[in-house]
Amino acid sequence: MNEDQKNNRTNMTKLKNIALALAFVPSALIAQERFATRNGHIHFFSGTAVENIEADNNKVTSVFDATSGAIEFAALVKAFEFEKALMQEHFNENYMESNTFPKATFKGKVTGLTAEQAKTPGTYAVEVTGDLTIHGVSKPVTTKGSMTVEAGGVIKAKSEFNVKPEDHGIEIPGVVRKNIAETIKVSVDLSYAKM
Amino acid sequence: MMNMKRSVMIALAAAALLAGGGTYAYMEYSRGTARADEMPVAQRLSAAELLQAFQNDEQAATKTYVGATEQVVQVSGSIRSMEPVGTDKTNVVLETGDQLAAVVCEFDNKDLPIDWRSGAQVNVKGICTGLLMDVVLVRCVAAQ
Repeated sequence: MNEDQKNNRTNMTKLKNIALALAFVPSALIAQERFATRNGHIHFFSGTAVENIEADNNKVTSVFDATSGAIEFAALVKAFEFEKALMQEHFNENYMESNTFPKATFKGKVTGLTAEQAKTPGTYAVEVTGDLTIHGVSKPVTTKGSMTVEAGGVIKAKSEFNVKPEDHGIEIPGVVRKNIAETIKVSVDLSYAKM
Repeated sequence: MMNMKRSVMIALAAAALLAGGGTYAYMEYSRGTARADEMPVAQRLSAAELLQAFQNDEQAATKTYVGATEQVVQVSGSIRSMEPVGTDKTNVVLETGDQLAAVVCEFDNKDLPIDWRSGAQVNVKGICTGLLMDVVLVRCVAAQ
């Protein structure tokens, strides 16, 4: 098992431990305001004069703790779906090497939404800072976004940021360099329910 | 005269090869992703067995059920819940006996049988993509 897989497994174990711990703790003792989703959406877009490449993943798992601001999410690389099979094959086999690095993860902190605000309907501007791990390489990311608190313990979070494949050790062969943007636009759309 | 005829034949053959190659390249470039019912089934097992395999040894299960290239896994189980995902997809969550984890099968709504309900015993073919909190199958279709 390589380091990336160990880290991914550790992250998943942590998510599950949080869920397990909460399941057996009386609700009155839980001070944290925790939210989770397993149907988060990530979209990425690479636009060049040669072609546009985009993909969607609707199976992003994320946990957000409004008390501490801690946020984590994980996505299976093979769950990204493309319109064209060839693009999906190249994405998995040549660039993301998804057999070796099956998951992409983010671990960080949200500022701009307090635990009290997480109970009050409204839209809040937030800043997210943390480490994004793709292709086994972690890089710090800071971006802005919004979190909309709805009735019934639902929080909808949106954010966009840019990723450079080279920053994560993803090599683009010269022959297709003009087909793939140097900066990939990533959009995250999560709908959390209270745990 | 013979030389000219030969040249024309060679030119025609080259043109046919180019056209054939170009058509193949375009079709390959434009090829959409295959549906799960257009591919052979690589593995058949229950939802509980699939989850257990990942929980016991995620790396080995990934090798077996996700595979190096896309492969179809057929799972059987009862429907724990059905959850809309956006406007055009639905998650069919299969019971595994583990309250905190399931096998989640993502269907395009057009492929989702209209009579499926929570509690129904179903068979699903899908592309297994691995384990997060649940085992995730995408591009699912109903199986016999």
